[in-house]
Amino acid sequence: MAADTKQYDELAKRYGFAPVPESVSRLTQLVAQQYADLDEIAAVIQGDPVLTKRLLRVVNSHATCEAEYTIDTVEQAIMRNGMGGALILAMGTPLALALQKAFQTMLGLKLEQFPAHQLVGVNGEHMRGSIGFAGKVNGHVYLRMTLQSARTVAAGIFGCKPEEMTNADEIRDAIGELLNIMTGNFKSNLCDSGLDCKLEPPKVGITDDYSTPIERGGGIERIAFRSGAIHPFVEVTANPWNG
Amino acid sequence: MALKILSVDDSRTIRLIVGKAFKPYECDMVEATNGEEGLVVAAREKPDLIILDVTMPVMDGVTMLTKLKADDALKGIPVIMLTAESGRENVLHIAKLGVRDYLVKPFKDDQLIEKAGRVIPLQKKPVPA
Repeated sequence: MAADTKQYDELAKRYGFAPVPESVSRLTQLVAQQYADLDEIAAVIQGDPVLTKRLLRVVNSHATCEAEYTIDTVEQAIMRNGMGGALILAMGTPLALALQKAFQTMLGLKLEQFPAHQLVGVNGEHMRGSIGFAGKVNGHVYLRMTLQSARTVAAGIFGCKPEEMTNADEIRDAIGELLNIMTGNFKSNLCDSGLDCKLEPPKVGITDDYSTPIERGGGIERIAFRSGAIHPFVEVTANPWNG
Repeated sequence: MALKILSVDDSRTIRLIVGKAFKPYECDMVEATNGEEGLVVAAREKPDLIILDVTMPVMDGVTMLTKLKADDALKGIPVIMLTAESGRENVLHIAKLGVRDYLVKPFKDDQLIEKAGRVIPLQKKPVPA
């Protein structure tokens, strides 16, 4: 195992892989052990201000600002949300990083993350992509955006103007590929931490349904982004230890 | 003679991006949408380089690579993996099978060209007068 790790580290360096943040990697490894020590998990989260902020936002989902939080410590949040919540937290980071990197490299756009409850105009028909994953952890990743955003994103990827993007299949393929890139990155992190799982093929289509089924006994995290008029919206649902 | 590059990916978007990246260079692109098709095209076209995805329907990239390396007529074709997956087990397995490089999606055109240029002698097309 140690030899494998050393060999992998050498290959990762040679191939130029971007590393997952140490705190996220450690958190996923801890949560992958079903009976992990909650104090140890709390310590990892407390050591990372970004993870702490996200956990508190998830457990105080009805609050519109930090002053309204009723749960304000990591320990309370973990007691309330359980290990599943910590896993969702660990999974959200690689997803968010992968989407931000995809927008930066493929479209030259900087995506800014912002609180999901501030998302306005989330109604009506929109483009929804989803990928299921199954194994020692089961769940789904959803990527949603307005039809105009989807057209603009696809045009950026194909290097043409949005009005030239008239082929619906090409728009769906481009959004499906963004989803593939996001989930491929986070699946690698889960598998490396012992939560082996396989991805299902992406499904992309137009819908007016904003409901998100949550896995039984699992949790959900919503991550909203914006870059100009483009507002992609990611949801991840998961229930670990089904394997 | 122009070099021949085979792009194997189920996503039309990625095949298109790969094709665009090599457009300024003296090379012909051929495509396949899964590993099974990729083996057929590789046998027929004898490409100078294969750009290969991992997760695809019908036959995935790891299976295609395994079959390619077991075929005396095809095993010498260099392969660069182009995938969103960089999990330890996959990477170690693929490295053992023998690939020249590994590029994780999302990627920039120039990253792909730089890696390809280390494997095959890419030449820019002359600028029209």
